[in-house]
Amino acid sequence: MPEPILAVDMLEVAYGPIRALRGCSLTVSAGETVAVVGANGAGKTTLLRAISNVLPHTGGEVRFDGTTTRGRRADQLALAGLLQVPEGRGIIGRLSVAENLQLAWALRPDEGGFEAASRRVFARFPRLQERLSQRAGSMSGGEQQMLALARAIISPPRVLLVDEPSLGLSPVMVSEVFSVLKAFRESGVTILLVEQNVRQALAIADRAYVLRQGTIVAEGSGQTLLSDPAMLRYYLGSG
Amino acid sequence: MLAEQIINGIVLGSMYALVALGYTLVFGVLDKLNFAHGETFMLGGFVAIAASALGAPLWVAFPCALLICGALGLLVELLSFRKFRSADAQVTAALSSLALGLVLIDLVQKTYGSEPVSLELPLEVRTATIAVGGIEIAQIKLAILGIALLLMGGLQVLVTHTRVGRNIRAVAESPLAAALLGIHVRLVMQQTFVIASALAGIAGVMLAMRTGYAASDIGFTFGIKALAIMAIGGMGDLRGAMLGGILVGIVEALAVQFGLGKLGEIVVWILMIIVLLVRPGGLFSTGTEQRA
Repeated sequence: MPEPILAVDMLEVAYGPIRALRGCSLTVSAGETVAVVGANGAGKTTLLRAISNVLPHTGGEVRFDGTTTRGRRADQLALAGLLQVPEGRGIIGRLSVAENLQLAWALRPDEGGFEAASRRVFARFPRLQERLSQRAGSMSGGEQQMLALARAIISPPRVLLVDEPSLGLSPVMVSEVFSVLKAFRESGVTILLVEQNVRQALAIADRAYVLRQGTIVAEGSGQTLLSDPAMLRYYLGSG
Repeated sequence: MLAEQIINGIVLGSMYALVALGYTLVFGVLDKLNFAHGETFMLGGFVAIAASALGAPLWVAFPCALLICGALGLLVELLSFRKFRSADAQVTAALSSLALGLVLIDLVQKTYGSEPVSLELPLEVRTATIAVGGIEIAQIKLAILGIALLLMGGLQVLVTHTRVGRNIRAVAESPLAAALLGIHVRLVMQQTFVIASALAGIAGVMLAMRTGYAASDIGFTFGIKALAIMAIGGMGDLRGAMLGGILVGIVEALAVQFGLGKLGEIVVWILMIIVLLVRPGGLFSTGTEQRA
């Protein structure tokens, strides 16, 4: 079996005396969509932030593309293609939609040029094209999430980390977000998705992990976990 | 004469604006006040003194102040801000930069004494005038105003139309989001300090040329007033700092014109108190904050 593109091995993160991650391990192989589900406070956001090195970890290791991420800054990892759409979307609200896209593309330019890249993005997100000159912060939450996802794939990442993309969105927008993620998956993007919205996350995932109190307590294919509601209820406190 | 006083006010205000822009740029990106900024501005004046003592032509002071004060900005970032990144370190960074500013004052006073040092300007530079719309204006004032406006325009273009500016605006809004996009946040902070400090240094040269001397306590008087202008214009609001600077310059000049003398300064402080009470986001805030 080839080495996974992202390997998290016994990761430990502590906020003072509170151990938020206690030896968390998972792998993501190229082309896979992997979900990490867990209740509020299970450590999902901490996990992604530690992977991106915006939070220091106190133990364990993250390997991206076969090399350790130790000593690399968050921006260096992002430029290398380990890209995160953070919780709260991370769009730059005071910049226009166009500037948000330009900013992302200029940091990780591809050979085709910005024009071609934005055409690709607009084919998938036609509504963004109508709002190019609008301040990103003035758009609805759903549109902001679309911009965050569009910005993430304007030049394709090696691994896309997505933190709670459905948070705070209306049910209609939630299904739109998941259909975008599904389309990403079908076009071959490698995704590590962290979600509280268990059913939808498991439905689009090849594999999934259940995170509880900072450790992985179950793993399996998305379908297997979905078909075991008793287990999910036990670990997540709800269906 | 009224028109002449207003022009004086605009010239003075353009220098206020340059210094206020530096405060507001750094505040916009780090959410912290750089209390060494006034002294960086002060140092610009002494760069002009030193350049003139070395026999360099007048204009040489500008690139020298740009380089020296810009480099000083890097030092301020390194010593007083780098370690204090978290939001609750605002007071620590403020105190540290204040101390650094005081060290600068001591160093300058050790070298030049505590009395103002006069800047030798060629007679024709001091006295040449030009008639604009029937008013005789000193060429040096127009030159200062021209350079200041050029720098402000340049800064505006830099911030709104270049990659460096986009990065600065992204970090100003969210260092976390910027880092996750691939922006080297510390580099952007350093760039911000260099730009802010270089502008202050040039303003320091211009003030020395305008008044004919450099004084080591100017950071406390002129510099703190620029800090007030930042508050009046809106913390982190570039346009507010420019307009606020010019506005305060005019108000002060008019206070002199109407015989209020030193009261002109009081007007600035009262204006700041009122603006902070009534419009805490700044005089020109539109509700949708427009920050660096």
